[in-house]
Amino acid sequence: MNKGPLLFLGIFLTLAFSWTGIILTNHLTIGRIGTYVDADTGTAFPQAEPGLARQGKQVYQELGCIYCHTQQVRRPGFGADDLRGWGERQSVPRDYVQQDRLLLGTMRTGPDLMTVGSRPLNADWHYKHLLDPQLTSPGSNMPPFPFLFATRRIVGQPSPKAIQGLPPQYAPPPGHEVVPTHRAEALVAYLMSLKHEYDYPESIPVNVPGGH
Amino acid sequence: MSDAHPDPLAPTPAHQRENPEPHEQEKFPSLLLLFLCSVLIFASAIYLQRYSGGFDPLVYNEEVQGRGSAAGAAAAVVDPIAAGKRLFVNNCVTCHQANGQGLAGVYPPLAGSDWVNASEEALVRILIHGMSGPAVVNGATYNGAMPAFGPLGSNWKDDKIAHVLTYIRQEWGNKGAPVLPETVARIRASTADRNKAWTAPELAEFHPGQ
Amino acid sequence: MSSANPSLAASLKPGTSEATAERALLSEIDVSTRRPVFFFLCAAIGWLLVGTVFALIASFKLHNPAFLGQAEWLTFGNIRTAHLNSVVYGWATNAAFAVAIWLMARLSRTQLRHLGILDVAGFFWNLGVAIGLAGILRGDSTSIEWLEFPAYATPLLFVAYALIGIWAIIAFRFRQPGHVYVSQWYLLAALFWFPWLYSIAQLMLVFAPVRGAVQPLVNWWFAHNVLGLWFTPIGLAAIYYFLPKVLGKPIHSYYLSALGFWSLALFYNWAGVHHLIGGPLPAWVLSAGIVASLLMVIPVVTTGINHHLTMLGSFGRLQDSPTLRFIVFGGVSYTLTSLIGSAMAVRSFNELAHFTHFTVAHAHHGLYAFFTMVVFGAIYYMMPRLTGREWPSAPLISVHFWFCAVGITIYVVGLKIGGLLQGWEMIATTADPQTGEVALRVPLFLDIVKHTLPYLVSRSLAGIMITIGHLAFAVHFAWMLLQPRAVAGAQPVRLSPDAALPASRA
Repeated sequence: MNKGPLLFLGIFLTLAFSWTGIILTNHLTIGRIGTYVDADTGTAFPQAEPGLARQGKQVYQELGCIYCHTQQVRRPGFGADDLRGWGERQSVPRDYVQQDRLLLGTMRTGPDLMTVGSRPLNADWHYKHLLDPQLTSPGSNMPPFPFLFATRRIVGQPSPKAIQGLPPQYAPPPGHEVVPTHRAEALVAYLMSLKHEYDYPESIPVNVPGGH
Repeated sequence: MSDAHPDPLAPTPAHQRENPEPHEQEKFPSLLLLFLCSVLIFASAIYLQRYSGGFDPLVYNEEVQGRGSAAGAAAAVVDPIAAGKRLFVNNCVTCHQANGQGLAGVYPPLAGSDWVNASEEALVRILIHGMSGPAVVNGATYNGAMPAFGPLGSNWKDDKIAHVLTYIRQEWGNKGAPVLPETVARIRASTADRNKAWTAPELAEFHPGQ
Repeated sequence: MSSANPSLAASLKPGTSEATAERALLSEIDVSTRRPVFFFLCAAIGWLLVGTVFALIASFKLHNPAFLGQAEWLTFGNIRTAHLNSVVYGWATNAAFAVAIWLMARLSRTQLRHLGILDVAGFFWNLGVAIGLAGILRGDSTSIEWLEFPAYATPLLFVAYALIGIWAIIAFRFRQPGHVYVSQWYLLAALFWFPWLYSIAQLMLVFAPVRGAVQPLVNWWFAHNVLGLWFTPIGLAAIYYFLPKVLGKPIHSYYLSALGFWSLALFYNWAGVHHLIGGPLPAWVLSAGIVASLLMVIPVVTTGINHHLTMLGSFGRLQDSPTLRFIVFGGVSYTLTSLIGSAMAVRSFNELAHFTHFTVAHAHHGLYAFFTMVVFGAIYYMMPRLTGREWPSAPLISVHFWFCAVGITIYVVGLKIGGLLQGWEMIATTADPQTGEVALRVPLFLDIVKHTLPYLVSRSLAGIMITIGHLAFAVHFAWMLLQPRAVAGAQPVRLSPDAALPASRA
């Protein structure tokens, strides 16, 4: 193999082959999937992220949440995502078509978040969990995010957004309150927007004889 | 060259003791190795053909041969109590606890609860729209907020609401009858324009003794 | 010396032995590569220390989440990302450049030309890495794994890389005619593949992002190919050079080399999709990635046999040669981690190990136990020839080797066990014999977290060991530069002074 041009040709073709086969084919097929219009209501799913949630997604990226949390539900029978309450069906490409940046993640140091907005966790729970995960989930190894919150003096009336029910070591000094910053509000809005919005025809779980 | 000032361009002692540049022998690889490689390639081709879902971009489950065969597959049969238990464990235990005892003064119990064992009319409404304000359960007063699981909240369909209620109505010694998805659908339709949580007085007609 | 820079080889008297002439030529070539290679090595070792500190902080945070938890720039998501990028683009890539340049020049059997290109490239590359890391700590990460440097840093990297690629083509073009040795195929392939991978990924993910689920396909085609088509070929090129060089023996079989090279080129390209098994993608492309990952057994076993049969009968040399020790450790790790990697792609194993710490252990098995250890071995060989000095301390080399080798072994073994436990607990179910009802064995996620903590702690302990090894190495590197130039006939550092030294050694 002493001819430079032949060597280069082989090296180039192997790369071109994989790029064409993996990326180009899918770019032309699943890359062309659009929203699905529900026949009954005429609404197109998935819907675009509302403004505050979009800002919250930016915060999610800034804090590197993808390194511990996934956003992809595996199908029933492959893993136990459905039994853990992470989603009743597999996530499909159409679930992501409205996202300009996918955040699939690759680690489950923490639970999958694809449908966290469908779980009965309200904003107050999320704020406490972000302030210090030990508050809601003792033993968790998720880091605390105290910088997403501000302790400030109460001026006039206490803010309706102030976090209630904090244990002594987190409670603010008298006359002060702990409020979420705008970034925390956006992040929680984002988390609460995460759900499988619709069961598309291609996503309906199929019971295959012999499959598990 | 003097030893005190070694010539920087001269071969270093490291160069002096180097072996010649490497080269390769012409040994032909063992035929056994080539045979095993061919077997692996052949087996891989079979795997790819079997698990390719017909090379269909809309098939995400490798067990399915292609969308044509998927359409013919039967829908899964669901055990409502098993499904309801799973929903309960994943959604309700944080407040009502796994043993259905709730938290004294904070979250009402479900085990032996007079609400759970009474009419399903109240229960279905509570699940769909949530409940807030004071309520008396088994003689004790609770004043909390139960989240909605209908369109105002997690947007559960009729079968999920029916399953979780069926589960709690037969667990921990409860003796309530199962709840059917059709019942949930009827109640959902009749309360379609409601957009806030229920209060105990509003549900009094379904729950005598309040 | 004369400023006309006479060729030493040309000045040798007729009748000088071929071996001496070759050594003279190699010496000239090494002198010509000295400045850029030395720069890349210094940059690499600097980033190695930085990356090691980031690694320790990230590791401690996983079992002690409140550690340094007050400052946003130190949050786990940032520190872990800074670690990955500083060791991949700081340490490993600078080291890859150093080794590739040094080997390319030697294998082209010609003095290095156009040095200025490499100096500029080195400056831009490291500037880009520094800006990129600062950006990550600031919160500007793109959140695209292995491509987290913000868009204001990456064009610098691209410029640097393009210059190196151009230099490589020139060096190859002006090589001495004759047989192209296997290491050069790997080097050329790596130097060609990497810029294409990087540019396509930046274009299709950052500058003109593709839609929806195509993004992870591009992401993992890129990220896995950084390992398989950039670091692996350079690591293999190094093993193929240093193993026979140190031993004074030929590589067992040219045909095995060729089979190994082309099967790697063909299959490794497609394997990256295995990062997405179970994910929101068509079943066929995931199956194709699985198949490619399994077929990788062919190049891995072929190359492993080739190296092993070359090494056979010479294992005693591991006692004295530092280069050989690191290279062989790396080569064995390559085989092991690649075979485990193929197994990880099998769907039933993937169901268990995906999303767990097992994957992190596997990544370190490849990038550290294979690539980094091989590069350490290469550096031990290159430095005496670049600087004209000998490594002053055998004990420091032993500390470096043992702390890193034992450290990475504890890391990989401990975290793989922890990852398997984590994965099993995440998916394990029981079925009630009477009702058939399926339930989780470990329903509470927090219990799974608790059970993995001891393994995360073992990883931190391993990290401390590795840090000690790195410090020993960095100190030794600096100490060597303070040595006087070696005089003629100087002995190399030997790890076992009692071992009889064969006539040819390194």
